[in-house]
Amino acid sequence: MKVKINEVHSVFAWTWQIPSISDEKVTNDKLNDNDENEDVCGICRASYNGTCPSCKFPGDQCPLVIGVCHHNFHDHCIYRWLDTPTSKGLCPMCRQRFQLQKGLAINDAHIQKFVEIVSRRREEMIEEGVAEDFVDFDEPIRQNTDNAIDRSQVDTVLDEDFLLR
Amino acid sequence: MASLPKRIIKETEKLVSDPVPGITAEPHDDNLRYFQVTIEGPEQSPYEDGIFELELYLPDDYPMEAPKVRFLTKIYHPNIDRLGRICLDVLKTNWSPALQIRTVLLSIQALLASPNPNDPLANDVAEDWIKNEVGAKAKAREWTKLYAKKKPE
Repeated sequence: MKVKINEVHSVFAWTWQIPSISDEKVTNDKLNDNDENEDVCGICRASYNGTCPSCKFPGDQCPLVIGVCHHNFHDHCIYRWLDTPTSKGLCPMCRQRFQLQKGLAINDAHIQKFVEIVSRRREEMIEEGVAEDFVDFDEPIRQNTDNAIDRSQVDTVLDEDFLLR
Repeated sequence: MASLPKRIIKETEKLVSDPVPGITAEPHDDNLRYFQVTIEGPEQSPYEDGIFELELYLPDDYPMEAPKVRFLTKIYHPNIDRLGRICLDVLKTNWSPALQIRTVLLSIQALLASPNPNDPLANDVAEDWIKNEVGAKAKAREWTKLYAKKKPE
């Protein structure tokens, strides 16, 4: 039998590659697990690969950021939260000081602005005299940079992990 | 009015499809950010057998800002004042956008089960509660009978 191919429709999908806590490569199982608690932004509850409520187009225009505490959010969502004094610079999920994991390509462009806004929150708390609760303020970051994931791993294109949502 | 954020739609659907036991929350037809809420008084509290009405409003900034919640039913409780305003950390300083309507209402139900007279909102009630807990609880029970709707058998 002969087959003549007239036309090819290529279909592709993308997903943010999120390092798993155990530092192992994200497995297909995990990616396909559509558990709403697993892969939605803890603030807007939209998919990591979707957009925050103010954006129309997913992807680079509405990036995802990875916290040192392993909680991930749309950059726009978490920044808006940390911009409020109520946030006290803390992660909405675990109430630890929120900072981005270092050494991740996905985070690189955003690290500095999060350092700045969280220290602004901290200054406010010192002014109000309520910062004593946060004696170990600088500890989590130092501890966690050690197990930050190798950047090359994150830069890899998800050839075999293509998935359609 | 701007369209309703997806998160609010999702939360509303979940409240209807998978309601919290002892709690109802229904959005108003003409304002989907405004909810009519009922909370059953917890068992073995002075509020048991009573159904309390509350109103809940999601401000424009929700979830960056906490929902505004107020008791509509009169209640004798050290952390709830005459206007129905509630003194609860998660509604003020300890709000987090990871919380939701469901968890806030559960916290309020828990507040009914364990009043905290040391962080009072209604000072007279709190004083009464500290000085004469048995009497204060009896009064709370009486107010529940007088003002709250009776829980159907």
